[in-house]
Amino acid sequence: MRVSRRSANAWNATVHSRATWLLTAMLVIFGVSMLYPFAWLILSSFKTPADIARIPPYLFPETWTLETYRAILGPSASGVDIVGSYVNSLAVTVGTVVSVLFTSSLGGYVFARLKFPGRDFLFYFVLATTMVPFLTLLIPMYIVVDRLHLLNSLWGLVVPAVFSSFGIFLCRQFVYGIPVELYEAAKIDGAGDFTIYTNIIVGMMKPVLSVLAIFTFRASFNSYLWPLVAITDPRKYTLPVALRGMQNTFGSTQYHMVLAGSALACIPPLIVFVAFQRNLVKGVALTGIKG
Amino acid sequence: MSSMTPFERVSVMTHIKSMKLGRYSWLGISYATVLTAFYVLMFVVPFGTAIWLSFHNWDYLQTPVFVGMRNFTRLLSDSGFWSAVKVTAAFSFTEVVIAISLALLLAFALSHLPAISQHSLLFIYNLPVVMPVVASALLWKWLYKPHGGAINALLEVLGVASQPFLYSREQALWCITTMVVWAFLGNTSVVLLAGINEVPVSILEAAKLDGANVWQSFRHVTLPMIQPVLAYQVVSSIIGTVQMFAPFQLMGGPGHSTRTLSLYTYELGFEVLDLGYGAAVSIAMFILLLLATIFELRRRMASWQ
Repeated sequence: MRVSRRSANAWNATVHSRATWLLTAMLVIFGVSMLYPFAWLILSSFKTPADIARIPPYLFPETWTLETYRAILGPSASGVDIVGSYVNSLAVTVGTVVSVLFTSSLGGYVFARLKFPGRDFLFYFVLATTMVPFLTLLIPMYIVVDRLHLLNSLWGLVVPAVFSSFGIFLCRQFVYGIPVELYEAAKIDGAGDFTIYTNIIVGMMKPVLSVLAIFTFRASFNSYLWPLVAITDPRKYTLPVALRGMQNTFGSTQYHMVLAGSALACIPPLIVFVAFQRNLVKGVALTGIKG
Repeated sequence: MSSMTPFERVSVMTHIKSMKLGRYSWLGISYATVLTAFYVLMFVVPFGTAIWLSFHNWDYLQTPVFVGMRNFTRLLSDSGFWSAVKVTAAFSFTEVVIAISLALLLAFALSHLPAISQHSLLFIYNLPVVMPVVASALLWKWLYKPHGGAINALLEVLGVASQPFLYSREQALWCITTMVVWAFLGNTSVVLLAGINEVPVSILEAAKLDGANVWQSFRHVTLPMIQPVLAYQVVSSIIGTVQMFAPFQLMGGPGHSTRTLSLYTYELGFEVLDLGYGAAVSIAMFILLLLATIFELRRRMASWQ
Protein backbone atom coordinates (compact mmCIF):
# COMPACT_ATOMS: atom_id res chain seq x y z
CA MET A 1 0.00 0.00 0.00
CA ARG A 2 2.69 2.33 1.11
CA VAL A 3 4.91 1.42 -1.80
CA SER A 4 2.18 1.83 -4.40
CA ARG A 5 1.24 5.27 -3.12
CA ARG A 6 4.83 6.20 -3.30
CA SER A 7 5.18 5.03 -6.88
CA ALA A 8 1.97 6.86 -7.80
CA ASN A 9 3.47 10.02 -6.38
CA ALA A 10 6.66 9.43 -8.26
CA TRP A 11 4.69 8.88 -11.46
CA ASN A 12 2.78 12.10 -10.89
CA ALA A 13 6.02 13.92 -10.31
CA THR A 14 7.47 12.55 -13.57
CA VAL A 15 4.43 13.64 -15.57
CA HIS A 16 4.57 16.97 -13.88
CA SER A 17 8.25 17.45 -14.53
CA ARG A 18 7.85 16.27 -18.14
CA ALA A 19 5.13 18.84 -18.69
CA THR A 20 7.31 21.48 -17.08
CA TRP A 21 10.21 20.54 -19.35
CA LEU A 22 8.02 20.68 -22.43
CA LEU A 23 6.65 24.05 -21.39
CA THR A 24 10.13 25.35 -20.68
CA ALA A 25 11.37 24.12 -24.03
CA MET A 26 8.51 25.88 -25.84
CA LEU A 27 9.14 29.11 -23.97
CA VAL A 28 12.87 28.90 -24.71
CA ILE A 29 12.17 28.39 -28.43
CA PHE A 30 9.89 31.40 -28.36
CA GLY A 31 12.62 33.37 -26.60
CA VAL A 32 15.16 32.40 -29.27
CA SER A 33 12.81 33.61 -31.99
CA MET A 34 12.51 36.91 -30.15
CA LEU A 35 16.29 37.15 -30.08
CA TYR A 36 16.57 36.51 -33.81
CA PRO A 37 16.34 40.20 -34.86
CA PHE A 38 18.87 40.99 -32.13
CA ALA A 39 21.31 38.46 -33.53
CA TRP A 40 21.12 40.20 -36.90
CA LEU A 41 21.80 43.54 -35.27
CA ILE A 42 24.81 42.47 -33.24
CA LEU A 43 26.43 40.15 -35.78
CA SER A 44 25.92 42.52 -38.70
CA SER A 45 27.64 45.33 -36.87
CA PHE A 46 30.85 43.26 -37.08
CA LYS A 47 30.59 42.69 -40.84
CA THR A 48 32.52 44.44 -43.59
CA PRO A 49 30.53 46.81 -45.83
CA ALA A 50 30.84 44.31 -48.66
CA ASP A 51 29.52 41.46 -46.51
CA ILE A 52 26.54 43.40 -45.37
CA ALA A 53 25.40 44.29 -48.87
CA ARG A 54 25.47 40.67 -50.02
CA ILE A 55 22.32 39.12 -51.45
CA PRO A 56 21.07 36.84 -50.05
CA PRO A 57 22.20 38.07 -46.63
CA TYR A 58 23.67 35.69 -44.11
CA LEU A 59 23.67 35.89 -40.35
CA PHE A 60 27.31 35.28 -39.37
CA PRO A 61 30.11 37.57 -40.59
CA GLU A 62 32.59 35.94 -42.95
CA THR A 63 35.35 38.17 -41.65
CA TRP A 64 34.89 39.77 -38.27
CA THR A 65 35.83 43.43 -38.28
CA LEU A 66 35.62 46.44 -35.99
CA GLU A 67 35.85 48.73 -39.00
CA THR A 68 32.31 50.00 -38.64
CA TYR A 69 32.67 50.80 -34.98
CA ARG A 70 35.96 52.55 -35.69
CA ALA A 71 34.25 54.59 -38.39
CA ILE A 72 31.29 55.76 -36.32
CA LEU A 73 33.31 56.33 -33.16
CA GLY A 74 36.09 58.12 -35.00
CA PRO A 75 36.29 61.92 -34.92
CA SER A 76 33.19 62.93 -36.92
CA ALA A 77 34.25 60.79 -39.89
CA SER A 78 30.62 59.81 -40.28
CA GLY A 79 29.26 63.35 -40.15
CA VAL A 80 27.14 62.33 -37.18
CA ASP A 81 28.85 62.55 -33.82
CA ILE A 82 27.78 59.34 -32.07
CA VAL A 83 30.10 59.83 -29.10
CA GLY A 84 28.83 63.36 -28.49
CA SER A 85 25.19 62.29 -28.74
CA TYR A 86 25.96 59.44 -26.35
CA VAL A 87 27.25 61.90 -23.78
CA ASN A 88 24.24 64.17 -24.33
CA SER A 89 21.80 61.30 -23.93
CA LEU A 90 23.46 60.07 -20.75
CA ALA A 91 23.56 63.57 -19.25
CA VAL A 92 19.87 64.18 -20.00
CA THR A 93 18.86 60.71 -18.78
CA VAL A 94 20.84 60.86 -15.53
CA GLY A 95 19.53 64.37 -14.83
CA THR A 96 15.97 63.25 -15.49
CA VAL A 97 16.19 60.04 -13.45
CA VAL A 98 17.74 61.77 -10.43
CA SER A 99 15.17 64.57 -10.41
CA VAL A 100 12.22 62.24 -11.02
CA LEU A 101 13.32 59.92 -8.20
CA PHE A 102 13.59 62.90 -5.84
CA THR A 103 10.36 64.68 -6.82
CA SER A 104 8.37 61.44 -6.96
CA SER A 105 9.52 60.01 -3.64
CA LEU A 106 9.02 63.35 -1.92
CA GLY A 107 5.69 63.81 -3.72
CA GLY A 108 4.48 60.34 -2.78
CA TYR A 109 5.23 61.06 0.88
CA VAL A 110 3.76 64.58 0.76
CA PHE A 111 0.50 63.45 -0.85
CA ALA A 112 0.12 60.35 1.31
CA ARG A 113 1.04 61.69 4.75
CA LEU A 114 1.14 65.50 5.00
CA LYS A 115 -1.76 67.91 5.23
CA PHE A 116 -2.04 71.09 3.22
CA PRO A 117 -4.88 72.94 1.51
CA GLY A 118 -5.99 71.53 -1.85
CA ARG A 119 -4.04 68.30 -1.43
CA ASP A 120 -6.52 65.89 -2.98
CA PHE A 121 -7.51 68.27 -5.76
CA LEU A 122 -3.88 68.76 -6.72
CA PHE A 123 -3.20 65.02 -6.69
CA TYR A 124 -6.13 64.15 -8.92
CA PHE A 125 -5.23 67.02 -11.19
CA VAL A 126 -1.69 65.68 -11.58
CA LEU A 127 -3.14 62.25 -12.33
CA ALA A 128 -5.61 63.65 -14.86
CA THR A 129 -2.86 65.34 -16.88
CA THR A 130 -1.69 61.90 -18.01
CA MET A 131 -4.88 61.58 -20.05
CA VAL A 132 -3.79 64.32 -22.46
CA PRO A 133 -1.61 62.95 -25.27
CA PHE A 134 1.85 64.47 -25.51
CA LEU A 135 1.11 65.22 -29.16
CA THR A 136 -1.60 67.67 -28.06
CA LEU A 137 0.91 69.54 -25.94
CA LEU A 138 3.78 69.27 -28.41
CA ILE A 139 3.28 72.43 -30.48
CA PRO A 140 2.52 74.72 -27.49
CA MET A 141 5.34 73.11 -25.45
CA TYR A 142 7.68 74.10 -28.23
CA ILE A 143 6.45 77.69 -27.93
CA VAL A 144 6.77 77.69 -24.10
CA VAL A 145 10.29 76.22 -24.14
CA ASP A 146 11.20 78.68 -26.89
CA ARG A 147 10.04 81.57 -24.64
CA LEU A 148 12.12 80.14 -21.78
CA HIS A 149 15.13 80.21 -24.15
CA LEU A 150 15.67 76.50 -23.63
CA LEU A 151 15.40 75.35 -27.25
CA ASN A 152 18.62 73.78 -28.51
CA SER A 153 19.75 73.23 -24.95
CA LEU A 154 19.92 69.99 -23.01
CA TRP A 155 18.12 71.80 -20.17
CA GLY A 156 15.15 72.01 -22.49
CA LEU A 157 15.01 68.22 -22.43
CA VAL A 158 15.39 67.82 -18.65
CA VAL A 159 13.25 70.67 -17.29
CA PRO A 160 9.91 69.54 -18.79
CA ALA A 161 10.50 66.08 -17.28
CA VAL A 162 11.53 66.82 -13.67
CA PHE A 163 8.09 65.94 -12.30
CA SER A 164 6.43 62.69 -13.29
CA SER A 165 2.71 62.17 -12.73
CA PHE A 166 3.23 58.43 -12.98
CA GLY A 167 6.08 58.53 -10.47
CA ILE A 168 4.12 60.59 -7.94
CA PHE A 169 1.17 58.23 -8.27
CA LEU A 170 3.35 55.14 -7.87
CA CYS A 171 5.15 56.49 -4.80
CA ARG A 172 1.95 57.70 -3.13
CA GLN A 173 0.44 54.22 -3.43
CA PHE A 174 3.59 52.81 -1.89
CA VAL A 175 3.75 55.24 1.04
CA TYR A 176 0.15 54.33 1.89
CA GLY A 177 1.48 50.85 2.57
CA ILE A 178 3.98 52.11 5.18
CA PRO A 179 2.37 52.11 8.65
CA VAL A 180 1.19 55.59 9.74
CA GLU A 181 2.42 54.80 13.27
CA LEU A 182 5.98 55.09 12.03
CA TYR A 183 5.34 58.64 10.89
CA GLU A 184 3.45 59.54 14.06
CA ALA A 185 6.10 58.07 16.36
CA ALA A 186 8.84 60.08 14.62
CA LYS A 187 6.62 63.16 14.83
CA ILE A 188 6.18 62.70 18.60
CA ASP A 189 9.95 62.35 18.94
CA GLY A 190 10.12 65.85 17.47
CA ALA A 191 11.32 65.04 13.95
CA GLY A 192 10.41 67.51 11.21
CA ASP A 193 8.53 66.43 8.09
CA PHE A 194 11.60 66.63 5.88
CA THR A 195 13.77 64.75 8.39
CA ILE A 196 11.20 61.96 8.46
CA TYR A 197 11.38 61.84 4.67
CA THR A 198 15.17 61.67 4.48
CA ASN A 199 15.77 59.40 7.49
CA ILE A 200 12.83 56.99 7.34
CA ILE A 201 10.64 57.12 4.26
CA VAL A 202 13.22 57.17 1.43
CA GLY A 203 15.00 54.10 2.79
CA MET A 204 11.76 52.14 2.85
CA MET A 205 10.87 53.14 -0.72
CA LYS A 206 13.79 51.32 -2.35
CA PRO A 207 11.69 48.66 -4.17
CA VAL A 208 9.35 51.17 -5.77
CA LEU A 209 12.18 53.56 -6.58
CA SER A 210 14.18 50.90 -8.39
CA VAL A 211 11.18 50.13 -10.61
CA LEU A 212 10.63 53.84 -11.19
CA ALA A 213 14.34 54.21 -12.01
CA ILE A 214 14.13 51.51 -14.71
CA PHE A 215 11.00 53.02 -16.25
CA THR A 216 12.31 56.58 -16.16
CA PHE A 217 15.71 55.62 -17.51
CA ARG A 218 14.11 53.73 -20.36
CA ALA A 219 11.62 56.49 -21.16
CA SER A 220 14.22 59.24 -21.02
CA PHE A 221 16.92 57.39 -22.94
CA ASN A 222 14.35 56.35 -25.58
CA SER A 223 12.74 59.76 -25.81
CA TYR A 224 12.60 60.75 -29.45
CA LEU A 225 9.76 63.09 -30.38
CA TRP A 226 10.56 65.92 -27.98
CA PRO A 227 14.34 65.99 -28.64
CA LEU A 228 13.52 65.81 -32.36
CA VAL A 229 11.66 69.12 -32.24
CA ALA A 230 13.48 70.85 -29.37
CA ILE A 231 17.02 70.27 -30.67
CA THR A 232 18.16 71.32 -34.14
CA ASP A 233 21.85 71.79 -33.43
CA PRO A 234 23.59 68.46 -34.30
CA ARG A 235 26.08 68.95 -31.46
CA LYS A 236 23.16 68.76 -28.98
CA TYR A 237 21.53 65.68 -30.57
CA THR A 238 20.57 62.85 -28.26
CA LEU A 239 21.23 59.29 -29.38
CA PRO A 240 17.83 58.47 -30.97
CA VAL A 241 17.87 61.72 -32.96
CA ALA A 242 21.48 61.08 -34.01
CA LEU A 243 20.53 57.57 -35.16
CA ARG A 244 17.81 59.05 -37.29
CA GLY A 245 20.40 61.45 -38.71
CA MET A 246 22.65 58.50 -39.53
CA GLN A 247 19.82 56.72 -41.28
CA ASN A 248 19.16 59.83 -43.37
CA THR A 249 22.86 60.09 -44.27
CA PHE A 250 23.77 56.43 -44.78
CA GLY A 251 20.42 54.62 -44.88
CA SER A 252 20.46 53.84 -48.57
CA THR A 253 24.05 52.69 -48.97
CA GLN A 254 25.81 52.04 -45.68
CA TYR A 255 23.30 50.51 -43.35
CA HIS A 256 26.01 48.84 -41.24
CA MET A 257 26.74 52.29 -39.78
CA VAL A 258 23.13 52.60 -38.64
CA LEU A 259 23.20 49.07 -37.21
CA ALA A 260 26.43 49.63 -35.27
CA GLY A 261 25.00 52.87 -33.87
CA SER A 262 21.80 51.07 -32.86
CA ALA A 263 23.79 48.31 -31.19
CA LEU A 264 25.75 50.88 -29.18
CA ALA A 265 22.50 52.56 -28.17
CA CYS A 266 21.35 49.36 -26.44
CA ILE A 267 24.26 49.21 -23.99
CA PRO A 268 23.29 51.76 -21.28
CA PRO A 269 19.66 50.62 -20.93
CA LEU A 270 20.89 47.02 -20.91
CA ILE A 271 23.28 47.74 -18.02
CA VAL A 272 20.52 49.42 -16.02
CA PHE A 273 18.13 46.58 -16.78
CA VAL A 274 20.63 43.90 -15.71
CA ALA A 275 21.42 45.83 -12.53
CA PHE A 276 17.78 46.23 -11.49
CA GLN A 277 15.97 43.30 -13.10
CA ARG A 278 16.12 41.18 -9.95
CA ASN A 279 13.57 43.53 -8.42
CA LEU A 280 11.44 43.89 -11.52
CA VAL A 281 8.66 41.34 -11.09
CA LYS A 282 8.55 41.79 -7.32
CA GLY A 283 8.68 45.55 -7.74
CA VAL A 284 5.92 45.65 -10.33
CA ALA A 285 3.75 43.59 -7.99
CA LEU A 286 4.56 45.97 -5.12
CA THR A 287 3.98 49.23 -6.91
CA GLY A 288 0.23 48.94 -7.07
CA ILE A 289 0.30 48.67 -10.88
CA LYS A 290 -1.72 45.60 -10.09
CA GLY A 291 -4.58 48.04 -9.28
CA MET B 1 -17.81 81.43 25.36
CA SER B 2 -18.33 83.20 28.68
CA SER B 3 -19.75 80.04 30.21
CA MET B 4 -16.49 78.17 29.63
CA THR B 5 -14.00 77.50 32.37
CA PRO B 6 -10.52 78.94 31.74
CA PHE B 7 -9.24 75.44 31.14
CA GLU B 8 -11.80 74.79 28.43
CA ARG B 9 -11.07 78.15 26.86
CA VAL B 10 -7.35 77.41 26.62
CA SER B 11 -7.99 74.02 25.12
CA VAL B 12 -10.33 75.50 22.48
CA MET B 13 -7.76 78.21 21.71
CA THR B 14 -4.95 75.72 21.16
CA HIS B 15 -7.28 73.61 19.12
CA ILE B 16 -8.11 76.52 16.81
CA LYS B 17 -4.45 77.51 16.67
CA SER B 18 -3.40 74.00 15.77
CA MET B 19 -6.09 73.84 13.09
CA LYS B 20 -4.88 77.04 11.48
CA LEU B 21 -1.11 76.62 11.69
CA GLY B 22 0.08 73.35 13.12
CA ARG B 23 -2.27 71.30 11.02
CA TYR B 24 -0.75 72.25 7.71
CA SER B 25 2.70 71.04 6.87
CA TRP B 26 5.13 73.63 5.57
CA LEU B 27 6.87 70.95 3.56
CA GLY B 28 3.53 70.05 1.99
CA ILE B 29 2.74 73.67 1.15
CA SER B 30 6.16 74.29 -0.41
CA TYR B 31 6.03 71.11 -2.45
CA ALA B 32 2.52 71.93 -3.63
CA THR B 33 3.62 75.43 -4.66
CA VAL B 34 6.54 74.22 -6.77
CA LEU B 35 4.43 71.41 -8.22
CA THR B 36 1.62 73.81 -9.14
CA ALA B 37 4.04 76.25 -10.78
CA PHE B 38 5.52 73.39 -12.80
CA TYR B 39 2.19 72.02 -13.97
CA VAL B 40 0.90 75.47 -14.83
CA LEU B 41 3.95 76.07 -17.02
CA MET B 42 4.26 72.62 -18.53
CA PHE B 43 0.62 71.56 -18.70
CA VAL B 44 -2.03 74.26 -18.16
CA VAL B 45 -0.40 76.84 -20.43
CA PRO B 46 0.39 74.38 -23.26
CA PHE B 47 -3.04 72.73 -23.06
CA GLY B 48 -4.77 76.11 -22.98
CA THR B 49 -2.63 77.26 -25.89
CA ALA B 50 -3.53 74.13 -27.86
CA ILE B 51 -7.24 74.85 -27.38
CA TRP B 52 -6.73 78.53 -28.24
CA LEU B 53 -4.66 77.65 -31.30
CA SER B 54 -7.30 75.28 -32.61
CA PHE B 55 -9.58 78.31 -33.14
CA HIS B 56 -6.89 80.20 -35.06
CA ASN B 57 -4.81 79.97 -38.19
CA TRP B 58 -1.10 80.41 -37.62
CA ASP B 59 2.10 79.71 -39.55
CA TYR B 60 4.45 80.54 -36.63
CA LEU B 61 5.55 83.80 -38.30
CA GLN B 62 2.59 86.11 -38.85
CA THR B 63 -0.08 87.10 -36.32
CA PRO B 64 -2.57 84.30 -35.58
CA VAL B 65 -5.98 84.88 -37.19
CA PHE B 66 -9.16 83.90 -35.38
CA VAL B 67 -11.20 81.53 -37.54
CA GLY B 68 -13.82 80.26 -35.08
CA MET B 69 -14.87 76.66 -35.66
CA ARG B 70 -13.44 76.54 -39.18
CA ASN B 71 -10.56 74.21 -38.28
CA PHE B 72 -13.02 71.74 -36.83
CA THR B 73 -15.40 71.85 -39.79
CA ARG B 74 -12.37 71.36 -42.05
CA LEU B 75 -11.50 68.31 -39.98
CA LEU B 76 -14.82 66.65 -40.77
CA SER B 77 -14.30 66.85 -44.53
CA ASP B 78 -10.53 66.17 -44.49
CA SER B 79 -9.86 62.70 -45.91
CA GLY B 80 -6.30 62.87 -44.53
CA PHE B 81 -7.70 63.19 -41.00
CA TRP B 82 -10.13 60.29 -41.41
CA SER B 83 -7.49 58.05 -42.92
CA ALA B 84 -5.24 58.89 -39.95
CA VAL B 85 -8.08 58.00 -37.55
CA LYS B 86 -8.57 54.70 -39.35
CA VAL B 87 -4.86 53.84 -39.35
CA THR B 88 -4.50 54.77 -35.67
CA ALA B 89 -7.56 52.75 -34.63
CA ALA B 90 -6.56 49.72 -36.71
CA PHE B 91 -3.01 49.77 -35.37
CA SER B 92 -4.02 50.32 -31.76
CA PHE B 93 -6.71 47.63 -31.84
CA THR B 94 -4.58 44.93 -33.49
CA GLU B 95 -1.51 45.72 -31.42
CA VAL B 96 -3.39 45.62 -28.11
CA VAL B 97 -5.32 42.44 -28.94
CA ILE B 98 -2.24 40.55 -30.17
CA ALA B 99 0.14 41.82 -27.50
CA ILE B 100 -2.23 41.24 -24.57
CA SER B 101 -3.25 37.75 -25.70
CA LEU B 102 0.33 36.73 -26.33
CA ALA B 103 1.58 38.24 -23.08
CA LEU B 104 -1.24 36.57 -21.15
CA LEU B 105 -0.32 33.22 -22.67
CA LEU B 106 3.38 33.73 -21.89
CA ALA B 107 2.72 34.94 -18.35
CA PHE B 108 0.37 32.04 -17.61
CA ALA B 109 2.88 29.54 -18.97
CA LEU B 110 5.70 31.19 -17.02
CA SER B 111 3.69 31.06 -13.80
CA HIS B 112 3.96 27.25 -13.88
CA LEU B 113 7.75 27.36 -13.86
CA PRO B 114 10.08 27.77 -10.88
CA ALA B 115 11.12 31.35 -10.11
CA ILE B 116 14.60 30.93 -11.56
CA SER B 117 13.26 29.90 -15.00
CA GLN B 118 10.67 32.69 -14.82
CA HIS B 119 13.37 35.26 -14.32
CA SER B 120 15.75 33.97 -16.99
CA LEU B 121 13.00 33.76 -19.62
CA LEU B 122 11.62 37.16 -18.70
CA PHE B 123 15.11 38.52 -19.09
CA ILE B 124 15.21 37.26 -22.69
CA TYR B 125 11.71 38.52 -23.48
CA ASN B 126 12.63 41.93 -22.13
CA LEU B 127 15.75 42.47 -24.23
CA PRO B 128 13.72 44.10 -27.03
CA VAL B 129 12.02 46.30 -24.42
CA VAL B 130 15.44 47.53 -23.34
CA MET B 131 16.35 48.54 -26.87
CA PRO B 132 15.57 52.17 -27.76
CA VAL B 133 12.49 52.25 -30.00
CA VAL B 134 14.33 54.23 -32.66
CA ALA B 135 17.01 51.54 -32.82
CA SER B 136 14.37 48.78 -33.10
CA ALA B 137 12.56 50.65 -35.86
CA LEU B 138 15.77 51.13 -37.85
CA LEU B 139 16.76 47.49 -37.33
CA TRP B 140 13.39 46.15 -38.48
CA LYS B 141 13.34 48.50 -41.44
CA TRP B 142 16.53 46.80 -42.58
CA LEU B 143 15.22 43.30 -41.84
CA TYR B 144 12.10 44.09 -43.90
CA LYS B 145 14.12 45.14 -46.98
CA PRO B 146 12.45 43.55 -50.02
CA HIS B 147 15.81 42.78 -51.70
CA GLY B 148 18.46 41.28 -49.47
CA GLY B 149 16.45 41.65 -46.29
CA ALA B 150 16.79 38.99 -43.58
CA ILE B 151 13.06 38.22 -43.38
CA ASN B 152 12.72 37.62 -47.09
CA ALA B 153 15.82 35.43 -46.92
CA LEU B 154 14.12 33.41 -44.19
CA LEU B 155 10.92 33.16 -46.25
CA GLU B 156 12.95 31.95 -49.21
CA VAL B 157 14.35 29.11 -47.11
CA LEU B 158 10.76 28.21 -46.18
CA GLY B 159 9.78 28.33 -49.85
CA VAL B 160 7.61 31.46 -49.64
CA ALA B 161 7.82 34.13 -52.35
CA SER B 162 9.55 37.34 -51.27
CA GLN B 163 7.28 40.09 -50.02
CA PRO B 164 7.37 43.89 -50.47
CA PHE B 165 6.67 44.48 -46.72
CA LEU B 166 7.06 48.19 -45.94
CA TYR B 167 6.70 49.07 -49.64
CA SER B 168 3.19 47.66 -49.79
CA ARG B 169 0.07 49.58 -48.77
CA GLU B 170 -1.51 46.36 -47.49
CA GLN B 171 1.46 45.01 -45.56
CA ALA B 172 3.19 48.10 -44.14
CA LEU B 173 0.89 48.59 -41.15
CA TRP B 174 1.10 44.88 -40.26
CA CYS B 175 4.87 45.05 -40.44
CA ILE B 176 4.99 47.98 -38.03
CA THR B 177 2.47 46.28 -35.73
CA THR B 178 4.62 43.15 -35.60
CA MET B 179 7.69 45.19 -34.70
CA VAL B 180 5.82 47.05 -31.94
CA VAL B 181 4.43 43.80 -30.49
CA TRP B 182 7.96 42.39 -30.47
CA ALA B 183 9.32 45.53 -28.84
CA PHE B 184 6.86 45.71 -25.93
CA LEU B 185 5.76 42.12 -25.32
CA GLY B 186 8.24 41.53 -22.50
CA ASN B 187 7.04 44.51 -20.51
CA THR B 188 3.40 43.45 -20.72
CA SER B 189 4.37 39.91 -19.69
CA VAL B 190 6.16 41.20 -16.57
CA VAL B 191 3.09 43.12 -15.42
CA LEU B 192 0.68 40.26 -16.12
CA LEU B 193 2.99 37.70 -14.48
CA ALA B 194 3.17 39.90 -11.38
CA GLY B 195 -0.64 39.80 -11.34
CA ILE B 196 -0.86 36.04 -11.91
CA ASN B 197 1.72 35.33 -9.20
CA GLU B 198 -0.53 37.17 -6.74
CA VAL B 199 -3.39 34.71 -7.24
CA PRO B 200 -3.48 32.65 -4.01
CA VAL B 201 -2.24 29.09 -4.54
CA SER B 202 -4.97 27.79 -2.21
CA ILE B 203 -7.73 28.87 -4.62
CA LEU B 204 -5.97 27.24 -7.57
CA GLU B 205 -5.57 24.02 -5.56
CA ALA B 206 -9.21 24.07 -4.56
CA ALA B 207 -10.15 24.36 -8.23
CA LYS B 208 -7.84 21.44 -9.04
CA LEU B 209 -9.48 19.31 -6.33
CA ASP B 210 -12.86 20.12 -7.86
CA GLY B 211 -11.57 18.60 -11.09
CA ALA B 212 -10.81 21.75 -13.05
CA ASN B 213 -8.23 21.30 -15.80
CA VAL B 214 -5.59 23.87 -16.65
CA TRP B 215 -7.77 25.77 -19.12
CA GLN B 216 -10.76 25.85 -16.73
CA SER B 217 -8.73 27.10 -13.80
CA PHE B 218 -7.21 29.76 -16.05
CA ARG B 219 -10.58 30.81 -17.44
CA HIS B 220 -12.55 30.75 -14.18
CA VAL B 221 -9.96 31.49 -11.46
CA THR B 222 -6.88 33.27 -12.79
CA LEU B 223 -8.53 35.46 -15.41
CA PRO B 224 -11.23 36.93 -13.13
CA MET B 225 -8.66 37.52 -10.38
CA ILE B 226 -6.28 39.46 -12.59
CA GLN B 227 -9.01 41.64 -14.15
CA PRO B 228 -7.69 44.83 -12.49
CA VAL B 229 -4.11 44.26 -13.75
CA LEU B 230 -5.47 43.37 -17.16
CA ALA B 231 -7.62 46.49 -17.28
CA TYR B 232 -4.61 48.61 -16.31
CA GLN B 233 -2.48 46.97 -18.97
CA VAL B 234 -5.13 47.27 -21.71
CA VAL B 235 -5.82 50.93 -20.97
CA SER B 236 -2.16 51.89 -20.78
CA SER B 237 -1.52 49.96 -24.02
CA ILE B 238 -4.31 51.88 -25.74
CA ILE B 239 -2.84 55.17 -24.54
CA GLY B 240 0.68 54.09 -25.55
CA THR B 241 -0.23 52.82 -29.03
CA VAL B 242 -2.42 55.79 -29.95
CA GLN B 243 0.47 58.12 -29.13
CA MET B 244 3.18 56.02 -30.76
CA PHE B 245 5.28 58.05 -33.13
CA ALA B 246 8.83 56.89 -33.90
CA PRO B 247 8.07 53.63 -35.81
CA PHE B 248 5.62 55.43 -38.09
CA GLN B 249 7.98 58.27 -38.84
CA LEU B 250 10.99 56.02 -39.43
CA MET B 251 9.40 52.97 -41.10
CA GLY B 252 6.41 54.64 -42.79
CA GLY B 253 4.78 52.79 -45.66
CA PRO B 254 3.78 54.21 -49.06
CA GLY B 255 1.48 57.23 -49.27
CA HIS B 256 -0.71 57.65 -46.23
CA SER B 257 -1.02 53.92 -45.55
CA THR B 258 0.70 54.21 -42.16
CA ARG B 259 0.14 57.88 -41.31
CA THR B 260 -1.31 57.94 -37.79
CA LEU B 261 -2.89 60.85 -35.95
CA SER B 262 0.37 61.47 -34.11
CA LEU B 263 2.37 61.62 -37.33
CA TYR B 264 -0.29 63.81 -38.99
CA THR B 265 -0.19 66.25 -36.05
CA TYR B 266 3.59 66.36 -36.23
CA GLU B 267 3.57 67.02 -39.97
CA LEU B 268 1.01 69.80 -39.68
CA GLY B 269 2.84 71.43 -36.79
CA PHE B 270 6.46 71.09 -37.81
CA GLU B 271 6.55 70.49 -41.56
CA VAL B 272 3.52 72.20 -43.14
CA LEU B 273 3.50 74.85 -40.34
CA ASP B 274 -0.30 74.80 -40.24
CA LEU B 275 -0.25 75.14 -36.46
CA GLY B 276 -3.91 75.99 -35.88
CA TYR B 277 -5.18 73.04 -37.86
CA GLY B 278 -2.51 70.81 -36.30
CA ALA B 279 -3.80 71.83 -32.87
CA ALA B 280 -7.37 71.00 -33.93
CA VAL B 281 -6.25 67.53 -35.07
CA SER B 282 -4.40 66.98 -31.79
CA ILE B 283 -7.48 68.02 -29.78
CA ALA B 284 -9.58 65.59 -31.80
CA MET B 285 -6.97 62.93 -31.01
CA PHE B 286 -7.27 63.72 -27.30
CA ILE B 287 -11.07 63.43 -27.39
CA LEU B 288 -10.99 60.15 -29.33
CA LEU B 289 -8.42 58.70 -26.91
CA LEU B 290 -10.50 59.81 -23.93
CA LEU B 291 -13.62 58.18 -25.41
CA ALA B 292 -11.75 54.95 -26.18
CA THR B 293 -10.34 54.81 -22.64
CA ILE B 294 -13.70 55.48 -20.97
CA PHE B 295 -15.40 52.94 -23.22
CA GLU B 296 -12.84 50.25 -22.42
CA LEU B 297 -12.82 50.97 -18.67
CA ARG B 298 -16.62 50.85 -18.42
CA ARG B 299 -16.76 47.64 -20.41
CA ARG B 300 -14.20 46.03 -18.09
CA MET B 301 -15.78 47.38 -14.90
CA ALA B 302 -19.13 45.97 -15.98
CA SER B 303 -17.58 42.58 -16.71
CA TRP B 304 -15.93 42.11 -13.33
CA GLN B 305 -18.78 43.28 -11.14
